[in-house]
Amino acid sequence: MNSPNSVGIASILSRPYKSIRLEWSSELSALRVRTCVTPIQCYSLAAMGELQRVLLDIAENQGLVKHFVMTSDVPGVFNFGGDLSLFVLLIRARDHESLRLYGRRCVDLLWWMETAAQIGVHTTVLVQGDTLGGGLESVMPFHKVIFERSAQAGFPEVLFNSFPGMGAWNFTIRKAGFAVANEMILSGKLYTAEQLHECRLVDMVVDDGCGEEAIEEAMRAVHPRLRGTLSALQARSIAAPVTYQSLLDIVDRWTINSLNLTDRDLRLMERLARAQARKGTQGVSEGAVEEIKRVELDRAWGEERTGITEWASL
Amino acid sequence: MPNFFIDLVTETDEARREFEAHPVVFASVANGMSVERYRVLLGELYHIVWHFNPICAAAASRITDEHASIRDFLYRHMHEESGHEQWVLNDLEAVGVSREQATAHRPSPNVLALVGFNYWASDRRHPCSVLGMLYVLEVLAAVYGGPFSATIRETLFLEGQRGTSFLSSHASLDAVHMAELRDVLNQLTIADAKNAVIESVRVNFRQITSVFGAV
Repeated sequence: MNSPNSVGIASILSRPYKSIRLEWSSELSALRVRTCVTPIQCYSLAAMGELQRVLLDIAENQGLVKHFVMTSDVPGVFNFGGDLSLFVLLIRARDHESLRLYGRRCVDLLWWMETAAQIGVHTTVLVQGDTLGGGLESVMPFHKVIFERSAQAGFPEVLFNSFPGMGAWNFTIRKAGFAVANEMILSGKLYTAEQLHECRLVDMVVDDGCGEEAIEEAMRAVHPRLRGTLSALQARSIAAPVTYQSLLDIVDRWTINSLNLTDRDLRLMERLARAQARKGTQGVSEGAVEEIKRVELDRAWGEERTGITEWASL
Repeated sequence: MPNFFIDLVTETDEARREFEAHPVVFASVANGMSVERYRVLLGELYHIVWHFNPICAAAASRITDEHASIRDFLYRHMHEESGHEQWVLNDLEAVGVSREQATAHRPSPNVLALVGFNYWASDRRHPCSVLGMLYVLEVLAAVYGGPFSATIRETLFLEGQRGTSFLSSHASLDAVHMAELRDVLNQLTIADAKNAVIESVRVNFRQITSVFGAV
């Protein structure tokens, strides 16, 4: 039943957004969100606000949207996760409350995905490029996770003494098991699409350029048995529950840890932010993923032995 | 305790990201800039830093006892920032601009508009609007100053803090200042004062973006 705030698809599509673009397919009742956050494709406050608005519209117009699809409009990047500049600002300001608020907003977006089946919505995400930290966390509650073969993902937070605090533990454990979650979160390593598929974090890997077709196929496959699928997914949430409270408790832990990051940790975070920014500049293909590999290499070889890396100068 | 800081960060996040998103800022933080452009930037920065304490003094002189703690904060802050324009002159010297050349540099209309707004806002809008200027300058230093000065050092082959002492020092100094400023901002309870700060942050980010964009 629609809420008193129901507005219809035309109104939903006509809202002015800066970080996202909406597309509607009436045949499958599919709403697609294409994200493009400038200058860095990450979860900025504004982008999260806009996403929240869309999700609220869907919830207030139950029955209107049956498929929710998310993709990125930024070539080579799905999402770099948290807004590192904002984190640096809030950590330097010792602002516990704002950090916590940011974490809670992230959790609210995840929670919508986790409970989407309850409002009759099946969710699909296509990852066509790098997705790190919060970016990877954000795709995990989707019902169908599709990666193109060249996409890479991981939780690099441990490299700067943090950890992914918005659902990584809960959803990785549920989808891939405890050992995989331990390995991924505590190593900070990056994984290929194929590796993520092998450990069941990703449902489908397709060749580069075939992602669009895969979304269409996934939606068409589930559409005739949508009601049953959504009921089964709700039952799955009962069988292997992720609770809102546990997500919030982890955010609280993440907030406390963030305030204990040292200047050296923050400088490494800034180094990754710079690398993220570089990837956005014209003609530069290297970004945070390459920088993380350099940091991993520095660590593997030992800072003092090499003595020639950027890491040594931190 | 009321938390105006959260509101301020949220309300002005778009302005901060517009600064961050400006092609010149974006490219400068990621890839650095030529020495010629860096000299121009420091020349502009010199005037902004020169006027920092006079603007704070103008605001402090108009703050009533209702905000006495903010006035006291400004006194302390002015003391700490005193003479920092000399650091900019030192950096200019390190990249080949004499003190005479630096002080003779005429600020651009963007800098004049930035400085002019802050005097006007302290005088005519609300004296607490000066906290908006402080917030913007400290965000720039604490969030972008470190990466920017590191990139400048790498690309211009500057040793140690030579040529980047103002930016580098403020990147670490302002980490402490940010926390202090948050406490001060959280003392604001009057709507007029809060709105003036939000407005000031937006204008200062916009003007600083223009200053960078024109370099």
